Amino acid sequence: MPRHDSGKQNILSAALETAGIYAVAALLLLAGTFVSPKFLTGDNLLEILAAVALLGIVSAGMAFVTYSGSMADLSLPSIMAFSGIIAVASLPLGLAAALALGVLAGLAVGAMNGFVVGRLNANPILWTLSVAFFMEGFMRFAWSNNQLYPDSAPGTPGAAFIGIFRIGVGIHPPVLRTTPLQGGSGTVPLVVVVMFLMFLLAHFIMTRTRFGRESQLVGSSRATARASGIRVPRVVFLNFLFAAFAASVAGIFLTSMNKLGVFYLGQGYDFKAVTAVVIGGVMLSGGRGRLSGVLGGVLVIGLLSNIMQFLGITAFRQNIVTGLVFIAVVGLQQYQLRAKGRDYA
Amino acid sequence: MSAGFLQSALAMEGVSKRFPGMLAVDRVDFDVMPGEVHALMGENGAGKSTLMRILTGSFDDYEGTIRIGGREARVHSPAAAKEQGIGMVYQELSLARPISIAENLLVGRLPVRWGGFIDRPQLLREARACLGLVGLDLDPLLTVGEISQHEAQLVEIAKVLGGQPCILILDEPTSSLSRDEVARLFQILRDLRNRGLAIVYISHHLPEIFEIADRVTVMRDGRRIATKEIHEVTPQSLVQMMVGRSIDEFYLRREAKVGATVLRAEGLTRYGFFHEVSFTLNAGEILGVAGLSGAGRTELARSLCGLDPLYAGRALLLDEPLIPNDYPRNAARGLVYLSEDRKVDGLFLRLPVSVNLLAGLRGRSGNGSVVQRCLDELAIASASPEVDAGTLSGGNQQKVLLGKWLATGPRVLILDEPTRGVDVGAKRKIHEAVMALADRGAAVLLISSDLPELAGLSDRAVVMRNGRLIGELSKAQLSEEALLLAANGHLEDCHAKA
Repeated sequence: MPRHDSGKQNILSAALETAGIYAVAALLLLAGTFVSPKFLTGDNLLEILAAVALLGIVSAGMAFVTYSGSMADLSLPSIMAFSGIIAVASLPLGLAAALALGVLAGLAVGAMNGFVVGRLNANPILWTLSVAFFMEGFMRFAWSNNQLYPDSAPGTPGAAFIGIFRIGVGIHPPVLRTTPLQGGSGTVPLVVVVMFLMFLLAHFIMTRTRFGRESQLVGSSRATARASGIRVPRVVFLNFLFAAFAASVAGIFLTSMNKLGVFYLGQGYDFKAVTAVVIGGVMLSGGRGRLSGVLGGVLVIGLLSNIMQFLGITAFRQNIVTGLVFIAVVGLQQYQLRAKGRDYA
Repeated sequence: MSAGFLQSALAMEGVSKRFPGMLAVDRVDFDVMPGEVHALMGENGAGKSTLMRILTGSFDDYEGTIRIGGREARVHSPAAAKEQGIGMVYQELSLARPISIAENLLVGRLPVRWGGFIDRPQLLREARACLGLVGLDLDPLLTVGEISQHEAQLVEIAKVLGGQPCILILDEPTSSLSRDEVARLFQILRDLRNRGLAIVYISHHLPEIFEIADRVTVMRDGRRIATKEIHEVTPQSLVQMMVGRSIDEFYLRREAKVGATVLRAEGLTRYGFFHEVSFTLNAGEILGVAGLSGAGRTELARSLCGLDPLYAGRALLLDEPLIPNDYPRNAARGLVYLSEDRKVDGLFLRLPVSVNLLAGLRGRSGNGSVVQRCLDELAIASASPEVDAGTLSGGNQQKVLLGKWLATGPRVLILDEPTRGVDVGAKRKIHEAVMALADRGAAVLLISSDLPELAGLSDRAVVMRNGRLIGELSKAQLSEEALLLAANGHLEDCHAKA
């Protein structure tokens, strides 16, 4: 049952739950205008979206894992790299086959995670951490530490593959028409469109399907879900599978962007995705949150890093800021829980 | 007992505590003398627990004054409460099972030598002294996991006594004890009282109150209704004070319309828990399962419905075998189990009441009208169906738990302690709902340690002891005494009586 069908009070509280993160985003927009006159241009805003699109896709998947009570899937970066490598390696079979195989490779890892955590009750953090470590070693071993380059001669599947990240979709928002973007003039990059589609899909699954509702129950209390006749292992399995699906899609875009498949692509996306999910209001303890909030979290991270770029702050120092934001938000969540007297939780 | 010139050990005056949207404790006066057992009674949600949580330092924003030994004290943190000599034994054990009794007893004040090493001889000495307080002669180096539930309960009390409190609070200390064990606990409490300890005793069991208490205070809706000497009250008058109305005949007699066999169990066995259990359950019937705690009743129920493994035997639901270890499938076929402990695996405490009520339906036909019907039928007192289930009182939580399964229209409903720790009004409502379900043709298996409930509600009862079914009692034979005798293995006696 979709929660917002059951009363006005609920719609309001739901809106308030996600309003916070969008208020932060609005504040950052405001702050950005003081940093640079170029900040509030269609060009720059689209650039921000393009910059966080991959993170957004991964976060939409990660949100399911967190929501259903498994905290985080730390193997998502390795799934990204793996599906990219497999896609590049299977390019001789044609572009469509390569993309399908790339996604399937990621799904295979996700299925393994889902089975081990769901059926065998492994600790999700430790298990996915080990998988990430194993996958890195496996990829370096299997491809002898080499990077895989797609064939970039025009007309080959390799060239088409490299083009995926650079495709613009023919939407022409009037604001953007004057501002040529990388790849095409006045168009929205495909990856941004895919990110929004991924969020729509994820939102639909979470609120409108039985699987989504059961994910909330499992996330809220695994023991109670089991005693309510819910197939907990299957729900957990599907959550990891969806996360792996999202990571595979992101991994293929990332590989296309870098024009090479290699084991280290995707590094850092684990932590950034968890940050986006948590500052978007999904409780680390599971069962609470919504995807609109996660999207807000992704945008805030994008805005923050864009502003820092304008300020000339280097990538490493940006990591320090992201880390601090995460710590602050987790602390705040915990404080709110206590203030609400939810110590029965 | 409470002579006026004696200094009271504890005096609470005009104490209030407000939660968002409700006054949980409303200007309550409460006092305990040294050498007195003062019982605190009231329905769930009456404010007893909140009052005691104030006393143990859970809140820093209560109003009113608290005097301990005549001096005004501010108990704004659990540490402050401990320092003031307030010790509380909680309903749930706070012991760590894999740790030795000695370390559990002295946790937080382990004797150390220089360099932070544990002083083992001293540890053992102090632990033995603590155990002596409750008359236990156990090796302090055993782990808590190795001793019985009853011994663990006493160790828990010993742990609190080890802090040398002058006021001891016990919250439902007997809920997991058999009758013999209760008698031993009471002997210990009397000793402690005679040594001058002030004891606050919270319980729902009327006979216990009359056995142990010197005075009794009844709370309702956050207020103190009355404080009386125990000889001034009767069970009837106490219940009336608690519920605010008179309940003449609590258990309605009903004529069961027993139909065809719905569930047939044949030789069910889970080694170590229950062996060769066979019985039949008919439509429209409430079958009680009597037995002491640890007899294997809960384990039987969980294995039967597929939550726990089953090693041998089989069960047939409408002549189709049930699948072991597949609760989701069995539940979809109409065999559902109401969990023994709503906090562990009964309710989603952090999710709204409405989500809880629909959780059993698994999205089959979830909508608002189901929720409203449940709320109405069970008279669930909830500000809105959208508040978290964890914010409700125990009685209302238990109603939500029952509502979750009633909404699915079960063929067989297994109830495991359906009214544990629940107030009188909610109990009545739950019983009515269960009887109505049976009248509609569903079969009910009732596991309960509440003997009046078991005797009053069941149409027939089987008796379980040490993992085996040892006999059956017909409706005519059912009585509190018969059930008690049977559960203790004296089945012949009650057949002879009947």
